[in-house]
Amino acid sequence: MSERAGGSISMLAYPDAAGPVQRRARRFAQLLAGLLVVTLGLFGLSATSSADEFGIRVQVKEQRRTDTGKTDNQPVPGVSVTVLDASGAEVGTGVTDAKGAVVIPVPAKADYTIRIDESTLPSGAELDGPAEQQVTGDSFTVATKTVNFFIGESQREETSGVERVSQRIADGVRLGLIIAMCSVGLSLIFGTTGLTNFAHGEMVTFGALVAYFLNSRGMHIVIAAPIAVAAGGLLGLTADRFGFSRFRARGVGLISQMVITLGLSIAAKNFFLWRFGGRDKPYLNYTNQVGVKIGPIVITPRDLIVTILALVVLVAVALTLQYTRLGKATRAVSDNADLASSTGIDSAKIIRIIWIAAGALAALGGVFRGLDEQVAWDMGTSLLFLMFAGITLGGLGSAYGALVGGFVVGLLVETSTLLGVPTELKVVPALLILILILLVRPQGILGRSQRVG
Amino acid sequence: MDIGSVLEATILQFIGFNACYYAIAAIGLNVQFGYAGLLNFGQAAFMAAGAYGVGQTAMVFGISLWWGVLIGVGYSVLLGLLMGLPTLRLRADYLAIVTIAAAEIVRLVVRSVWARDSFGGTDGLKGFADAFQKVGRNLGLKPAGEYGFWIFTFSGRNLWILLVGWTLVAIFGTIVWLLMRSPWGRVLKAIREDEDAVRSLGKNVFSYKMQALILGGVIGSFAGMMFALGNANVQPDNYSRDLTFFVLTGLVLGGVAKVTGSIVGPMLFWAIYSFLDNLLRELIDKPVRIGDFTLIQSTDIGAVVYMVMGVLLVLLMVFRPQGLFGNRKEMAFDGR
Repeated sequence: MSERAGGSISMLAYPDAAGPVQRRARRFAQLLAGLLVVTLGLFGLSATSSADEFGIRVQVKEQRRTDTGKTDNQPVPGVSVTVLDASGAEVGTGVTDAKGAVVIPVPAKADYTIRIDESTLPSGAELDGPAEQQVTGDSFTVATKTVNFFIGESQREETSGVERVSQRIADGVRLGLIIAMCSVGLSLIFGTTGLTNFAHGEMVTFGALVAYFLNSRGMHIVIAAPIAVAAGGLLGLTADRFGFSRFRARGVGLISQMVITLGLSIAAKNFFLWRFGGRDKPYLNYTNQVGVKIGPIVITPRDLIVTILALVVLVAVALTLQYTRLGKATRAVSDNADLASSTGIDSAKIIRIIWIAAGALAALGGVFRGLDEQVAWDMGTSLLFLMFAGITLGGLGSAYGALVGGFVVGLLVETSTLLGVPTELKVVPALLILILILLVRPQGILGRSQRVG
Repeated sequence: MDIGSVLEATILQFIGFNACYYAIAAIGLNVQFGYAGLLNFGQAAFMAAGAYGVGQTAMVFGISLWWGVLIGVGYSVLLGLLMGLPTLRLRADYLAIVTIAAAEIVRLVVRSVWARDSFGGTDGLKGFADAFQKVGRNLGLKPAGEYGFWIFTFSGRNLWILLVGWTLVAIFGTIVWLLMRSPWGRVLKAIREDEDAVRSLGKNVFSYKMQALILGGVIGSFAGMMFALGNANVQPDNYSRDLTFFVLTGLVLGGVAKVTGSIVGPMLFWAIYSFLDNLLRELIDKPVRIGDFTLIQSTDIGAVVYMVMGVLLVLLMVFRPQGLFGNRKEMAFDGR
């Protein structure tokens, strides 16, 4: 199996291998086959661990408030609850216990309807909201999804507006930093080679999954994360060394290369699904942390550290680009590859370094995202749209643009719910912005107009 | 192992319903991607436009099914305008990003609780296809009756779906073939090769591109309608970006910028898919283990087959970008 797969990849890397090149080709084929075996083993072993069941935890509460204004919700026992699947068939029923809760096991992470029988509510009590709630498959961030029903007077408006706003902003900052980190590489690859890499999301997933594998084998996430970043860099190197640098040398058109990245994205995504499985899983360290109150926001130490680390990394990236020789060369190649080459910059080398950095940053973004939410086989794919929105907003091909744009998009996604956008549609405003920006200022915030059209 | 049944399933998929609506979608995508060089990576959204057009007739509007065709076409024209206006003046890859994002917006909105009254949420829409089947019954096809010979035996219901579907393939195939031989088609191909040259001849490049985007989208919406009518329901999650990519894989397999390619490619795609899927299902009846390492088990087969299809797309683009019937010269267009 691995032999055959290794062979086909080496053919891909050496489409016109002949004569003296063949020996090197064989060596690379062996290297690749080895890499593949390692990856296969990696994901293979991780798939055997953990077998959690899915469930829906339904909680029924009576909304109350103490005299001092604190929430004091009371459980409502004895309420009948029914869970229906997407076709309307009954999956399970239950009655809430003394804590006002009941867990109903469900077969899979899918869409369900939760209905409560209003006639079983305490007499005189009325539901605040509908008697039916929808749960979508992708909202199962943990194995047991919690759904709340409330009776009594709605108390929601009375929760502090400032707290809600700052909480969403804190979440948005974290998401924005992660998106920015993931999209710098995507933007620089575009800027230097013109390639829109649709498989960039899979590079993010790759990093998260490598860390997950090591973590599930007993390695602490703090040690596993740098290894995942190194693996991501290696992946970037491999992609350029055996793939895209060759396509460029052979004069494969950009559109063809773009379609190739689509194929790679499909292949990688389904490889992850095969080896990792369809369920979201958390890293083993830093789970179930208690939030700390800082000013108006409540944040777990884990999320706080992720935010700070992401910020530090992004500042380091920006400083590198601004002040080091490498950074200046990178920006020069990104601006005009031919001109950069004629001034003595080795464009091919710079592009390779960009690929390595892109892979490493994407992997780190993946690990952070995995800590922030959970690890999933398609986590990068869902981020890809936001990355595109970010780099278009900031200006395609501009590194600083990607940083700023990614950050703004993340912030926008998390805060859009404050403006009345339903949670399930919170990424839509970001995608609409992407389209609007192209209509009014196609070069983005920081892009330069001559890049376009 | 029963290789006979594997081959039988493969042959049936070659001419089956999946191949049929993929072919319609690919004919549309070919107008955009193959002839005009427009990177529409959101064909799934156009298909959803058609599917929801016919789907909404019964449950939302309560009108005759046939109005749904008009509604679906209307939706897809609107979608084409929305995607094209901001991007068609810009470089080609902007369209790719916008179409893929627009398709995701469409999918998120139609599956949302927020728009449930119009699109049915995650349950989708159903109960609209009776009028379609009724036409078949009136023509004398008994829904439960058996028609055909040898392995090609279909129920009246399925035969009717296939007949209408493949007729649409023939109609759209002919229309596109004729169009591309017309002056209009020649301008379109010229735009693909060199936009500036065409502009310097006084042609309105933007307008031509928009027409191509909308024509391809409308054809794509018919694929969606067929998909909806064949399954007698509309499910939002069927219209994900993977649908676009697999239609594209089929198109590239057959050959870009060739009508025969856009029809035979999807047929081959489904034949290969079905062959691999059925073969693996025959081979892997129990989990394959090496020590306590589970290499593959029956629940993995779907993902493995899709993975292979992704690799197939990569290999095709590297080694034979023109596909089976394509002309390499017509693949020479570039994004910049």
